[in-house]
Amino acid sequence: MLEGKITRLRAAELEDLERDLAWVNDPEVTRFLATRYPMSRAEEERWLRDRPTNDFSNGVFFAIETKNERVHIGNTNLMQVHPEERKAAFGIMIGDKDYWSNGYGTDAIVTLLRFGFGEMNLNRVWLHTFDFNERAQACYRKCGFIEEGRLRQHYYGEGRYSDVIVMGVLRDEFDALHGIVPEREAAR
Amino acid sequence: MLEGRLVRLRAIEPSDRVRAVAWLNDPEVTYYLTERYGRAGSDGGWLSDGPPPAFDDVRLAIETRDGAHVGAVNLHRVQAEDRKAGLGIIIGAKDCWGRGYGRDAIETLLRFAFCEMNLNRVWLTVTAGHERAIACYRRCGFVDEARERDGFYKHGRYWDFIVMGILRRDFDALHANSSKGEGDA
Repeated sequence: MLEGKITRLRAAELEDLERDLAWVNDPEVTRFLATRYPMSRAEEERWLRDRPTNDFSNGVFFAIETKNERVHIGNTNLMQVHPEERKAAFGIMIGDKDYWSNGYGTDAIVTLLRFGFGEMNLNRVWLHTFDFNERAQACYRKCGFIEEGRLRQHYYGEGRYSDVIVMGVLRDEFDALHGIVPEREAAR
Repeated sequence: MLEGRLVRLRAIEPSDRVRAVAWLNDPEVTYYLTERYGRAGSDGGWLSDGPPPAFDDVRLAIETRDGAHVGAVNLHRVQAEDRKAGLGIIIGAKDCWGRGYGRDAIETLLRFAFCEMNLNRVWLTVTAGHERAIACYRRCGFVDEARERDGFYKHGRYWDFIVMGILRRDFDALHANSSKGEGDA
């Protein structure tokens, strides 16, 4: 269980199935994600049930809950973890649209990055985002990601090509911006 | 293939098994090692069998420059978060003892561990009394870190285990000219 300021990250559970299924079939949600084909309940259930344990080599996948009401609002993950490069790719979905634009995503990301750098000992976390997802990019910048490149016409959806923006955050940059070590450890 | 000065470290082949089994059944070779029960001809242990080398388990054969297979080294219990690994080595060809092959193999593997795998720490345990090995590890830059008292029983008595370790920064300081890459904070 990872505690943020307004969110908490916990292991995903099979009980999350109905919410996850609704989100990944909601076009308003998936237009920002690299998922285009409808997802069956059976497939989503199999994915949740057979997912490997959260660890360094498998990466981590967490459900995002609001801290006060314990409402499950989305999921976030680190994947493609490379031990030699100490880097991982990052993904997030705030599926419950009532919770968009209220800082929940930013808090969940900062919490996950603190775990990635402070516990998994990563050096770099990177992501892909679509050029039209400006709300996400503003959020990623607040978390410490900077734009590193633009893959031209790398994605096709809604009848047109879009550029994919590559963003990354390095350990030292995140530490300067948000701090990796909890205050109580730093004081020792 | 990792090139050292005297040896090269290559992937392990099934054909290494016959020598591995002979070494593991040689009491002079295993005197200070945790080998106790002898090995069947099909069982060369990590010296000849297992998955191909990868981050979590690196096992390599030691060859002299003229291609003679003289031993094996490995990095085991690799912890990605802690960026540390345990090191094991065996020089099974007794006529090759005392020639610097072990030291060269270890230094070659350490360079790989720090500069390619991006590890921060390599540790080992050695039986107190195995003076030739301890001296070799010290020459490679390992320092004594702990003593596990009576950690090992063999030849009718208890032996201490000595835990030794080397950090990336120790290795960089020893090999200032030959080790490349970021000096980790």
